[in-house]
Amino acid sequence: MKISRRPLAATVPSMAMGDIAFNLLIFFVILAKATDDSHLQWDPADTIDVTQAGAAKVSIVIDAESKYYLNGQQIGIAQLAPQIEQILGTTTGDDRRVLLKVHRDATANHFEPIIEAVSEAGGTIMHVLEEKRK
Amino acid sequence: MKVRRKCKLLVEPPSSATGDIAFNLIVFFLVCASIQPDSGRLQEIPRSEENQEQKEEIENIEIALTGNLNAVSLNGDTVRITELESRLTKLLKNKTKPQDKIVIVKSKTDTPYHHWIDVTTEIEQCGGQITIQREEEQTIQVQ
Repeated sequence: MKISRRPLAATVPSMAMGDIAFNLLIFFVILAKATDDSHLQWDPADTIDVTQAGAAKVSIVIDAESKYYLNGQQIGIAQLAPQIEQILGTTTGDDRRVLLKVHRDATANHFEPIIEAVSEAGGTIMHVLEEKRK
Repeated sequence: MKVRRKCKLLVEPPSSATGDIAFNLIVFFLVCASIQPDSGRLQEIPRSEENQEQKEEIENIEIALTGNLNAVSLNGDTVRITELESRLTKLLKNKTKPQDKIVIVKSKTDTPYHHWIDVTTEIEQCGGQITIQREEEQTIQVQ
């Protein structure tokens, strides 16, 4: 006697669709929000009065080892001003904002050339700082 | 005539999914908490060419920073950080033009960033316009 096999349907349960969509949403939110320099090690200096930095096309980091990074890529000080100028292009107003993330113990011989380079490129400096705790 | 009521079914989420829901909620709030927007202080520094012109015309206030975190040099006088605000306010009081309010900040190479930020914050709070003056590096070839 022949016993016929029961066909098994392998389908994705529709109940999980919502979960999958939600996880994908979180994944893309993280991708969009995470900046390129999030892997760099630096401690911000603190000050009494801070405002929201907002988004910027250019982000410069001086890390704990006093190395320079432009949008997450290590760079030499000589290339900094022309690179910033190139990125900023002909933009105006808030679009010319440059985020400056300097390690709190970095010395003037490291951070002053950066400020000068941004100034030369016509950018507006936004020092990324922490609010001082009273 | 009797009309039959429609049979209403109570739809409950399966209890096996509550673990998944809780996990997703944890992930969601974790992501929200970890992505904090940057905060900071905006600073407008005039271009270096302009500074040179202005330097020739008027005498600006000069602040020199060193590795000493408790004091600065204000126009050559050593001033404690705690007294800087009152001294600067006095100096900037009668200055109305923006170009007169320029404060030249000179830093020794070992000046830490957090000290520079503290001093420049005070200058801006007193109404000063910060300008950086760096020592020019010269390479002299010895033959």
